[in-house]
Amino acid sequence: MVLAYIDPGSGSMIAQLAVAGAAGVAVAVKVAWRKTAGRIRGRDGHAADEVADDC
Amino acid sequence: MTTDEMALNTSRPDDGSFRDPDSQVVHADGRVLRRLSATGRNDWEALSCSSFFERNVAAGRLVATAHMAAEPDALGDGWAGMVEHERVPFVTYPFEWTFGMLAAGAALHLELLRDALAEGMTTKDGYAYNVQWRGVEPVFIDTSSFTPYQEGPWAGYRQFCETFLNPLMLRSFVGLDFHPWLRGSLEGIPVQDMRRLISLREVHRPGVLRHVVLHALFVRKAHGTTSSTRSALAESGFSRDVVITTVDKLLDVVRKLSWQPEPSTWTSYPTTNTYTDDDRVRKLRFVEKVVSSARPDLVWDLGCNDGTYARVAATHASQVVAMDADHATVELLYRSLRSSGVRNVLPLVIDVADPSPSLGWRNRERPALLQRPRPDLVMCLALVHHLAIVDNIPLSQVVEWLATLAEVAVVEFVDRHDPMVAQLLGNKSVVHADYSLTRFQHEIAEHFDIEAREELSAGTRTLYALRRR
Repeated sequence: MVLAYIDPGSGSMIAQLAVAGAAGVAVAVKVAWRKTAGRIRGRDGHAADEVADDC
Repeated sequence: MTTDEMALNTSRPDDGSFRDPDSQVVHADGRVLRRLSATGRNDWEALSCSSFFERNVAAGRLVATAHMAAEPDALGDGWAGMVEHERVPFVTYPFEWTFGMLAAGAALHLELLRDALAEGMTTKDGYAYNVQWRGVEPVFIDTSSFTPYQEGPWAGYRQFCETFLNPLMLRSFVGLDFHPWLRGSLEGIPVQDMRRLISLREVHRPGVLRHVVLHALFVRKAHGTTSSTRSALAESGFSRDVVITTVDKLLDVVRKLSWQPEPSTWTSYPTTNTYTDDDRVRKLRFVEKVVSSARPDLVWDLGCNDGTYARVAATHASQVVAMDADHATVELLYRSLRSSGVRNVLPLVIDVADPSPSLGWRNRERPALLQRPRPDLVMCLALVHHLAIVDNIPLSQVVEWLATLAEVAVVEFVDRHDPMVAQLLGNKSVVHADYSLTRFQHEIAEHFDIEAREELSAGTRTLYALRRR
């Protein structure tokens, strides 16, 4: 995906979750859940990157 | 070959337009053109079909832009389309603006982004240099910043904070002018530096917790992240609605930021100067007579103070750039111009003894003040004594410099017996023996013809209308 010719910065993208309030919290919870689920699946022998395809 | 294609043949790429691979500004015979890649052309087509584009161009908030017909061969390798922009009267940069101007530019950027998001578009960046001025009205000039929105956060947030929000907060909450910081780096004030600059005692102030403290924390934590944060956020539901909420909250913070300039020597100058009412009227008439007969397109008013003479010049010129080194004075002038509806005076914070240098890539990305278009007429009223006595610039150099600026100059010389000059000389060990009316007249004779001369009744101030030889 080519959208930004500048580097938006990972930290600055995540920081927008804090700016967005409740809507940002919902996204943050989902990111955390996907990360946790990815780890569990990884332990169960699934490749972590399969999580993205499942979603 | 069309006329537009012929214009392209003589075009010169803008030295500051190279970062976005999908567009490049070129100058051709005074026209401002923009070449577009295939992607850039698609973005332009989406923008030009949107209702917010038409609405904001009509309101003067977005630069007027029109499609130009050109064959791909005429555009050059890799380019697929071209548009033409309206010219802005005088290009300036954020390190020359006042607090109010930077805040107005920030609000404009966010309001346009908000409008774009409502119609499925976004901006690729959040750069203060996307804004220019028509008098005291900000105008967004980077049409190629608009692109169709794709799921995920706003790419321009960090840049917006570093070039708009942090400098505004520095003035508002820390009490420091942002000009040296913005002049020091075209990237603005980094998130981490802003966190160190602002005390945690200010955490209750609008935006400090989220845009400074937490922003810096996330930047530090994410340092070295190699995974695609953007994809992860997009896939977790970071949608357009979340971006709209973010932009609304950011806009709310920008609107709450304020600065009340403290009285300074220069903000109170209009009431503490030593002119009599009669001299004030004579000076106004003199300036008006010279400017009205010269009918200049562009005027520079150096050391403009409250802009009294810039306003007079503005009634006979297309554009007046009013410069003063004192931020508080220029901020008050900006507010006064906005409230009085004067549309062709552009106030700038510039110390002519230390004017804006060339900055950025190859030292050509943002040209120095003296490398930008020169005025047709320059006004230098009651400033020569400051340059000569406060800044220790030899009188010969001051006059020679004025002659390089414009064909016509209106100069007020204040001699050493004037109370204001005596005050400047009071604490100086250097006597400035060469500072005299005789010496000044000798220097101007080297470069100018005197077209008119008038001594004010106080006997210490003389006005000159000069034409470069």
